[in-house]
Amino acid sequence: MRYAAWLLAAFCALLLQGRVSVLGIVPNLTVLLAFYAGIRYGANQGLLAGLLIGFVEDSLSGSLIGPNMLAKGLVGYVAAFFITGGLFRWTPLLGVFSVSALTLAGNIVTVLAKTLFDKMPGSIASIIFISVMQALLNAMAGAFMRPEHAD
Amino acid sequence: MLRKKALLLIVIIAAFILMTYQGKKGTIGSLTSLNALLQTAQHAVSSVTDSLSRPFRTMALREEDNTRLRKRVDQLLLEQSANQEATLENKRLKDLLKLRDTHRNYITAARVISRGIGHWEHTLVLDKGLKDGIVRDMTVMTPLGLAGKITSVSESYATMLWISDINFSAAVRTREGRHEAVLSGTGSRLCLLKYMPYEEEVKPGDVVITSGFDAFFPPGIPVGYVSKIDTRGIGGNFQYIEITPFQDAAKLEEVIIVR
Repeated sequence: MRYAAWLLAAFCALLLQGRVSVLGIVPNLTVLLAFYAGIRYGANQGLLAGLLIGFVEDSLSGSLIGPNMLAKGLVGYVAAFFITGGLFRWTPLLGVFSVSALTLAGNIVTVLAKTLFDKMPGSIASIIFISVMQALLNAMAGAFMRPEHAD
Repeated sequence: MLRKKALLLIVIIAAFILMTYQGKKGTIGSLTSLNALLQTAQHAVSSVTDSLSRPFRTMALREEDNTRLRKRVDQLLLEQSANQEATLENKRLKDLLKLRDTHRNYITAARVISRGIGHWEHTLVLDKGLKDGIVRDMTVMTPLGLAGKITSVSESYATMLWISDINFSAAVRTREGRHEAVLSGTGSRLCLLKYMPYEEEVKPGDVVITSGFDAFFPPGIPVGYVSKIDTRGIGGNFQYIEITPFQDAAKLEEVIIVR
């Protein structure tokens, strides 16, 4: 049941990414799934969920397979350490901050991997604009995604 | 803890090996069946949202339209007699357009149903596919000009690469000066005109059209206009020329596909 819910969530995230945009920027909803998997189920599960989501995203985008896999995997892994690994205690503000930071970090990893192994996906200015906008769009979700034993 | 770090390290190394392999051999296959499912769902969502929002849009526009149309009717009655000559001219131009369409090997018209999945790729999904005669590398255009090319096709859907994507390029020439060059996407809204020597005179506002020398795009399709030229050497041995496409991706709704 849990896996079916995750599959449905991933499918809806990919579907929404194709239909929603703010100021021409597509929100990065899949990174939220990887983040949630990390804080909810721990580093290993976060890493594996991120890898799987990233693989599907890379494969559907029709370009190099790997950049999103790596980025989402790292987001899932780091999210677990960030909040449930004892480094910080979860609060809504920390959730907002960590989602923004990990969205930015995920985008940096994706862009670096694409630049190294394929092509730089745009000008530096447009990459910064897109990444910052996606971090801001995702930020609020961090307040609502809490670990299982947050209290 | 050590196990977790080892797993992370394995994943990073595996990802690098995978990307290095693809860098040398090209990208590996995509999940076509999942892609088709996603495109079908996007089409369904598009249809539902359209049908839900249409009545509200209609109601909101009706009042405004009424006022505007009353004024327009008065104006049109006055213009009617003066337009008879224009009507005859229009008929002649339509005949010419039909002839042009025949020469451009028109395949089909399609509706844009969504953007592509990738955040960094400028792709759009069209509601026509193989069964409508679309194949990879066909030209996508609008009445304003070149919009892109088809990069992948399934039975009922096709994905087009937008003209300003970093992976897009086309052989072009300036309409006035007939100087040949290569148009490349930048990943933003603008495109670059590459390999234009300093001795060729290009002015802001010059229109760029496809030359047909790349064997992908039919010649003579308008692409955009020169919006910025820098001859101070930032383009190396060639002029740095920015092109603004005639067709804005954000306003793209319907396209035609030609061979």
